[in-house]
Amino acid sequence: MSQAIELEGARKVFRVRERTRGVAGALRGLVSRGTREIVAVDDVSFAIAPGERVAFVGPNGAGKSTTLKMLAGILRPTAGRVRVSGLEPGRERKLGFKIGAVFGQRSQLWTNLPALDTFELLARIYELAPGEYRARRDELVRAFEIEEIAQKPVRQLSLGERMRCELVASLLHRPEILFLDEPTIGLDVVAKATIRDLVRERGRRDGCTVLLTSHDTGDMERVCERVLVIHRGNLLLDRPVDALRKSFIPRKRVSVVSEEAELSLDLPGVRRLPSAPHRTELEVDLRAVGVDRVVSQIFSRARVLDLSIEDPPMEEIVTAIYAGASAHRANA
Amino acid sequence: MTSRLSRAAGKYLAFAQAAARRTMADRTVAAGRVVFLGVILFVFSRIWRLIGAADALPGVTERELVWYLAITECCVLSIPPVFLAIESEVRSGDVACRLVRPVAYVGGQIAEAIGETALRLAVMAPAGALFAYLLGGGLPADSRGLWLTVPLGVTAVLMAILSMAAIGLSAFWVVDTSPFFWIWQKATFVLGGLLFPLELYPEWLQKIAHVTPFPLMCWAPGRMALGFAPDVALASALSGVIWLAILCGLIALLSSRARLRLTVNGG
Repeated sequence: MSQAIELEGARKVFRVRERTRGVAGALRGLVSRGTREIVAVDDVSFAIAPGERVAFVGPNGAGKSTTLKMLAGILRPTAGRVRVSGLEPGRERKLGFKIGAVFGQRSQLWTNLPALDTFELLARIYELAPGEYRARRDELVRAFEIEEIAQKPVRQLSLGERMRCELVASLLHRPEILFLDEPTIGLDVVAKATIRDLVRERGRRDGCTVLLTSHDTGDMERVCERVLVIHRGNLLLDRPVDALRKSFIPRKRVSVVSEEAELSLDLPGVRRLPSAPHRTELEVDLRAVGVDRVVSQIFSRARVLDLSIEDPPMEEIVTAIYAGASAHRANA
Repeated sequence: MTSRLSRAAGKYLAFAQAAARRTMADRTVAAGRVVFLGVILFVFSRIWRLIGAADALPGVTERELVWYLAITECCVLSIPPVFLAIESEVRSGDVACRLVRPVAYVGGQIAEAIGETALRLAVMAPAGALFAYLLGGGLPADSRGLWLTVPLGVTAVLMAILSMAAIGLSAFWVVDTSPFFWIWQKATFVLGGLLFPLELYPEWLQKIAHVTPFPLMCWAPGRMALGFAPDVALASALSGVIWLAILCGLIALLSSRARLRLTVNGG
């Protein structure tokens, strides 16, 4: 089966002018200016099958947005091969009909007009028949609950409301592939959860491939099944989200609410985290002890009112990957 | 082939319609522009009377000069600053959202500017005619040429929009495009004959002006208020078509180069 997205040895180098400091430097700059190269993406290769929902994560400046913009045809790769839906981005305009994109920090909506006006414009751009457009618009407007929001000028919307409208705008033409660049950036917890649920559901329902860049690991946990980790322009890791969690942080976090003010355990691999009276937070290293032994000791030593077992936040997982990669490079 | 062309035309028409809707929402700005036109016409009609500008042109009275200025000002004031729209999108990185669409980015910007200009002209042209009629005391003595201002005015605003789009595309190379705009604007004012017909200029300056495209953006449509001159209209229209083709070529070249220059701010 052909891949939805293919990158082979993709590389992007930006050439930027060097600015020298001071008045003398500024005057020298008038005559001649040096340039330096910034390697934003370096020899990145991966493939994504149709219908997959993949997270592309990494810290700021890792190269994830640059990669996404190469895939969307906004930037041309300096070297390597990039194919999206079998087409070469940036050279074949018909790719525009197959992809949708949302850039969290940018807007494709006209700020002074209601989002519905932008939807109408997009329907014409994507050559949707009037009936087809109306049916799709109504379906999405209902699914994203923007019946009232879509009629207000975009400048009057909150960031979360605007983002729901942006997503509808990008899905109107039923794209095969949806690129989402930091779709939850700047949103509060509730708005983030809403956007994540909507993207996951829509991806499943429409069967479209989703490539999501983020440095919020919650996005990949809630939306995606596979994760690509990029750091300093290089692809660090390509794993299923669950496998990533298991291989990089074999730890669990146990929270206990008990009648006793204090609770102490004497098991190897159990570390007490900052806790409060009647509430104990523990970190369990699964390589040293099973979580079942920890729970049974808790029940034997305290009258438990509440107990929860959680995976550590994904931020810690990514930090561990970066640390592991840095150590690996240092040893090499 | 025909259906492909009609689909493409439909897309750009949609841009123009959406821009017209946006312009309609800014009624206060439109009213301000009309007031400004009235003030400009009043001030200059009084200045011309004071200096006796009409005496320097045989067969032309103050009335024709007011109509001339009304036409040139309508052309200039009706054009939105396309270069600023492009520059701000390139600066902010919003251009990224536009480039993924199956439509030419600069084509969309030009279509939006045309839509906005059409709506602005629909307000400014009747207002300008009314002001000119009241301040000049009636229609020009030979008003047969006035209808020729329509095709020449359309050519003028199209040339101005394309010029500004080309200036806006320079944002892919330089951060601030306003120096280019200032030069272009001042050249339009002076060599284009915004405030005075070129016939009032020294002969050597008239010759220089006529080898540039600027008179076609102001003087040519305004000239039709000074007297019926179909030969001037025809020559201006032909010259306008050539300049429009040159500007289209320049924009196509700049657009293709600009894509290769693109770096998106903020990743």
